[in-house]
Amino acid sequence: MANPYIPLQMKVQRIETEDPDRTLRTYDLTFVNESEKEAFNYLPGQFCEISILGKGESPFGIASSPTEKDYLRFTVNRTGSVTNDIHYLRNGDIIGMRGPLGNWYPVDDMKGMNVLIVGGGFAFTTLRSLLIYLLDSRDDYKDITVIYGARNPDLFIYKDEIAIWKQRDDIQFHLTIDNPVDGWTDKTGFVPTVTKEVSPGPDNAMAIVCGPPVMIKYTLPVLTELGFPDERIYTSLERRMKCGIGKCGRCNIGSKYICIDGPVFSMAELKNIPETV
Amino acid sequence: MKMINPDDLSKAIKELLTEKKIDLFIGWEKGSLPLSATPLFITSEDEAERAVFDITCGNNLSIYFTKDRKQFADKKVGIAVKGCDARSVVLNTLEKQIDRANVVMVGVPCHGVLDKKKVLAKTDGREVLELIDNGDTVTLIGKGYELSIDRSEILSSSCLACIYPDAQECDIFIGDARAEVPNENRLKEIKEFEALSTEERWANTCAEYEKCIRCYACRNVCPSCYCNVCFVDQNDPGWIGNTCEFTDSMIFHVIRNLHVAGRCVECGACERACPMDINLLLLNRKVAMEVKDRFGDIAGLDINGKPAMVDFKEDEKQDFIMG
Amino acid sequence: MNMVRLDKQNLDNFIRELSAEYSVYAPGNTGGKTEFIPVESGDEIDFSRTVTDMSPKGIFFPPAEVLFEYDKDGVRAAQTSHRPIAVFGMRSCDARSLVMLDRVFGSAIQMPDDEKFQDPYWKEKYDSSLIFGFACNEPLSTCFCNWFSGGPYNRDGMDVSVVDAGDVYLMEPVSDKGIEIISKLSCLTDASEEDKALLEKMASDAESMMTAPLDVEGLGERLTALFDESIWDEISAKCVNCGACTFSCPTCHCFDMQDEGKGEKGKRVRIWDSCMLPIFTMEASGHNPRALSRDRVRQRVMHKYSYYPENYGEILCTGCGRCVMVCPVNLDIREVLKKFIAYNEQGK
Repeated sequence: MANPYIPLQMKVQRIETEDPDRTLRTYDLTFVNESEKEAFNYLPGQFCEISILGKGESPFGIASSPTEKDYLRFTVNRTGSVTNDIHYLRNGDIIGMRGPLGNWYPVDDMKGMNVLIVGGGFAFTTLRSLLIYLLDSRDDYKDITVIYGARNPDLFIYKDEIAIWKQRDDIQFHLTIDNPVDGWTDKTGFVPTVTKEVSPGPDNAMAIVCGPPVMIKYTLPVLTELGFPDERIYTSLERRMKCGIGKCGRCNIGSKYICIDGPVFSMAELKNIPETV
Repeated sequence: MKMINPDDLSKAIKELLTEKKIDLFIGWEKGSLPLSATPLFITSEDEAERAVFDITCGNNLSIYFTKDRKQFADKKVGIAVKGCDARSVVLNTLEKQIDRANVVMVGVPCHGVLDKKKVLAKTDGREVLELIDNGDTVTLIGKGYELSIDRSEILSSSCLACIYPDAQECDIFIGDARAEVPNENRLKEIKEFEALSTEERWANTCAEYEKCIRCYACRNVCPSCYCNVCFVDQNDPGWIGNTCEFTDSMIFHVIRNLHVAGRCVECGACERACPMDINLLLLNRKVAMEVKDRFGDIAGLDINGKPAMVDFKEDEKQDFIMG
Repeated sequence: MNMVRLDKQNLDNFIRELSAEYSVYAPGNTGGKTEFIPVESGDEIDFSRTVTDMSPKGIFFPPAEVLFEYDKDGVRAAQTSHRPIAVFGMRSCDARSLVMLDRVFGSAIQMPDDEKFQDPYWKEKYDSSLIFGFACNEPLSTCFCNWFSGGPYNRDGMDVSVVDAGDVYLMEPVSDKGIEIISKLSCLTDASEEDKALLEKMASDAESMMTAPLDVEGLGERLTALFDESIWDEISAKCVNCGACTFSCPTCHCFDMQDEGKGEKGKRVRIWDSCMLPIFTMEASGHNPRALSRDRVRQRVMHKYSYYPENYGEILCTGCGRCVMVCPVNLDIREVLKKFIAYNEQGK
């Protein structure tokens, strides 16, 4: 019988520092065992538990897209004991990983629809996965609009890719920072405000929101105001998931376990869950 | 034995609330089980009659000042205190957790509180359905039995060794407060423990801490345990393991024991709360005795004093500092 | 299959015979406390308490359980193969609790058939186990199993039901596993018609000793409707947020996973955890979604009486009364539920 508590072995293939303060780092991991790679199927929005043996595990959204076959990508913000140790990893180090866990963004339902992606800060990880996934089957989707906000220009992750995305004419990519900075040519203002400004209409459109709790809290009402029905607004919740398989009870809110019923929830579902946003 | 007159207690509470001297009163009321009173929080004088004080009122209510990060910080609070509870209020005042000016301490004459495990030992584990407190004796009634026993047989170990049954610091006292009460059993349990061989002491200690299930009831009912994040809950770095293995449990208890050195008021709430009946007070009391011997300090006795562990006297031997 | 009897004089033989194939657990006394312990003979069993101090959940879900060990060569699942477990003397409430826990550990809400969501450590022990339940002839004043469709003679979760009838134990198989074991054991004899009549009388006597049940119909919905009401502040005021209730509870099953190791060698252990403790939901950033005592008390009550029933159609409480007995501040869950029902009926 498969033992869901045993981590797979992964090798650190590439490390990239995302910000000048070096609190955000992106890791590309490859499977040590080829057979495990074959069995590992995921979709944008899912997460993994990454293990530092001796320290413990933490959950991270998968930032790579399933269409990127060679590696799994994670971006790690250094906040606690496990993430601190992850930041000490070097290329070639072996770490543990369990997953894919949780559900995913409704990529099938999005087909033939306009897609609005709203993200904030370093929570852009699973949104990157989603965006790459959509772009790799670009013809399946109609207009794609991305709004990505951060406190200041340094705190955007995947800056090189952002530059490329902004050049593309088949997506509308809007960057915004909280307060004006010299030399900044993109938008200034909080994500909810920018969303109000540049969001496409709600007709035949799906909105995906992921970011810090406060951003989600103030963006969801804007989407409602713009006319998006609750069934077509999705967000990803974060809690201190531990087992990832609906047993340990840490991420229980209402009758749901974020690790298996989520982390992706529609606004319609959220309305029936207490303690969410 | 001069027991409390419940009318005097409710009258005092009623007055405090009616005259708006307090916003809230914390006391005890009759619980849902015959052996346990339960904490009472009242804001209206009409509820004052619910307050009781008897052998079942074991909780040290001063813990509620530090719960939820000083939840009553902006309130005037009246609180019923036994001798030990009053020492907690004093200690927490000295440690700046309580603003004494916002607290009205109502002392109650204490003749000791019961320890459930001692009661159940008397009834051979049979359920007690009714308890009658007659003062010197207590009547226990259950299905098919009625027992009359001496009060001292079921008192908490903390009470058997108590020398300050009544509040030494308080604003109102219901009855006549006793000053220090001589107690020949003050150090009995500690001396007995000290008389054992090292091996025996180790064996006893192991046997006790092996029972721990790490529920932290002892910590959470302790008025001196109010750290925002307890050392057992810290994970960066993680100081100790959290399993119920003996080594992990013992380290938890020993560190807690040292954290409350000079701060333990010997109320015994920890021991009574323990669902596994661990003898938690013995080491705490041993350390309290050491603090008394070395520094002359009894935790929470002097509102104008300084807790032993934050005080420094020039004539101290201080060998632990100077090496 | 019919009822059989076991002379109490034969209990020791019975346990020894059962031990040949099973690791047998039964209520025992450990330093003044009663809990389920491994036994090899009848003398080690202590039936003096109606409800053991600690619930039997630890047999299948130990307070600390090694998930895997690791060293420089990799990770190895903890050795799980051992003899099947038989439990003798499990009260009706406790036998039911295992059925409730099995819904969580044995499967998952969304993916009941997906192995990935089955807990191998629980299943390995529970699926092969044999439960000899034990009817209650003397329910305690703290017992409230009858509030939640249980009862002193309820047989849910048992393989064999056992009744203490004076000099003999009367046994009846409840499951196929029960039929099989009863037919195998040698020290049992057929029960008489008188035995059957006696059992019926004892059952109705025991049931009549229970206090009137609270009407818990629609309790979950009532609690949900009151989620944001201030009554939670009132209810939780006295709670000190220790874990005594959750750790003594037969159905509380939340756990933490922690690594213990030094250098390249170590293990990952799962440890009972409690939603009562502030650290339970504390995030690495320092933010705590359930920062206040009220939030945590609400979570525990809601999980038991609203969330779990929403998922599985049954309240996650067996009415064993352990939490009532151990609570250091006498925060009695029966009083809490009564308050909620009264609160709602007043229209506010």
